Amino acid sequence: MLQGALAGLAAGGLYAVLAVCLTLMSRLVRVVNFAQSATGMFGCYVAVHLSIQVGLPTWAGTVVGILIGGALSALLGWIISTWLAEADIGTRSAVTVAVLLLLISLSFILFGNKPQPFHPILDGPAFSVNGVVVSQVTVVTVLLSVVIAVGCRALLSKTSFGLELRALSERPTTAELMGIPAKPLAVAVWAVTGLLSTLVISIVAPSQSNDATSLSMLVVPAAAAALLGGFRRLDLAVVGGLVLGMAQGAVAQVDSLSVVRYFLPFLVIVGLLLWSQRKEVWDVAR
Amino acid sequence: MNALQVRDITVTRGAGPVIREVGFTLEPGRITALVGPNGAGKTSLLEAISGVLPAARGSVHIGDVEVTKHSRVARAKLGLAHIEQGRAVFPGLTVLENLKLTARTWPRVDEVLALFPELDKRRNSPTALLSGGEQQMVVLARAFAARPKFLLIDEMSLGLAPVVFTRLLPMVTRFASEGAAILLVEQFTHLALGVSQDAIVVSSGRVTYQGTAEALLAAPNTLHSAYLGE
Ligand SMILES: Nc1ncnc2c1ncn2[C@@H]1O[C@H](COP(=O)(O)OP(=O)(O)O)[C@@H](O)[C@H]1O
Ligand SMILES: [Mg+2]
Repeated sequence: MLQGALAGLAAGGLYAVLAVCLTLMSRLVRVVNFAQSATGMFGCYVAVHLSIQVGLPTWAGTVVGILIGGALSALLGWIISTWLAEADIGTRSAVTVAVLLLLISLSFILFGNKPQPFHPILDGPAFSVNGVVVSQVTVVTVLLSVVIAVGCRALLSKTSFGLELRALSERPTTAELMGIPAKPLAVAVWAVTGLLSTLVISIVAPSQSNDATSLSMLVVPAAAAALLGGFRRLDLAVVGGLVLGMAQGAVAQVDSLSVVRYFLPFLVIVGLLLWSQRKEVWDVAR
Repeated sequence: MNALQVRDITVTRGAGPVIREVGFTLEPGRITALVGPNGAGKTSLLEAISGVLPAARGSVHIGDVEVTKHSRVARAKLGLAHIEQGRAVFPGLTVLENLKLTARTWPRVDEVLALFPELDKRRNSPTALLSGGEQQMVVLARAFAARPKFLLIDEMSLGLAPVVFTRLLPMVTRFASEGAAILLVEQFTHLALGVSQDAIVVSSGRVTYQGTAEALLAAPNTLHSAYLGE
């Protein structure tokens, strides 16, 4: 069990980073970005293409891929904040579903529908606990998820950039009337979450099932983790991601349960939704 | 020229025009009361000046710059501030954070807090926890902190007890005396006219009186018929 749980921790870190991105997006730019991991997938595929076909060194390809992930996300953010500035969160989110499908199809067309020959960026063990090896990838992704969550929290509460973002998320029109530029700030949030998603996917993808669909669908467990924090709390999003990854890893170890791991995110989402509804019914009843 | 000019502006909303060919000038140091019955179009007029709503015809000028097609942000950068109807606080931000948004520097925040001792005591409370009067003070203080040259104030008194409102009004006059041009929309007509130099009455989207506030106060019949659109 422990071995499985630790093995699942790398995926957990990945979910956690993506969950933090989803939470930031929903809080700050009013969108549930279904294309969050697809954007990262696309950036990573470009990176692989650049290093395998074009012959760029792995690190250089990866850097370019991450930048492309950020740029793609920024472009999508610019489109949504230009044409759907006043639209509700449902409409804005629906657009990202279309982008998710577009990116999957585009990657099939450009790169074929097989897993990509990823070069690992990080390789090998970091240390071992009771004879169970913990990989460098695990250590880095878990640390990354914590650092990103803590950093974003500090940015939002301590800097004037963060203050303006919070003001915009609470009352966009009022903020604009005070001279706070909504669109550039929103595009910046999109760009940063795009960069972060691509970064973390490029670290973990070489050691995971890395076909376009699997990577794009990482948004589902990430959404389950973000849901734990109500798409508002970054700390709970990280906890949710890590726990979900470990639970999947542990379940995968038990032969009779191993298929259950694919349903875990779904079960978590349904469970959390029922739980939150139960509380609402209770509130109304009072 | 350092004035805000509205030239023959028409604003449409839904079915048709809610403001028709309205024009006036706001000058530094002067308060203009904008009064009229509910639904006359006062809020829509303010929104067209600050860029919340587009103007269908006519133009808005800040100083020498025509801003009719400018964004809200661009107009704010030219010195325009708009206090919206209702309480436009950021509920999740503390009093200090609300002020910091426009003040930019801490000395300016302190300067503004010195004008509002009640707020100073609650500087670290989330704005959502303040009373209605205190929230409106936050909004006013936040607008002052930006040192706007032109300030549009939409029904600051809404939902406030008259006593609370009469404590806020002197802040507005003080701000005008420091050189701001103010457009004051108010339901408490007499209180508003009492602190204003100029007055505009709108009814069903049209200007029915335009002149000095003093003359309007002195002629209740004129005010009455202007309200009725006669
Ligand atoms: N969101 C809206 N959509 C369509 N019409 C509106 C809207 N808000 C106000 N109106 C209409 O515009 C007219 C002017 O309203 P408003 O500017 O709010 O007047 P006032 O501020 O003087 O009460 C009214 O007839 C009102 O019914
Ligand atoms: Mg109004």
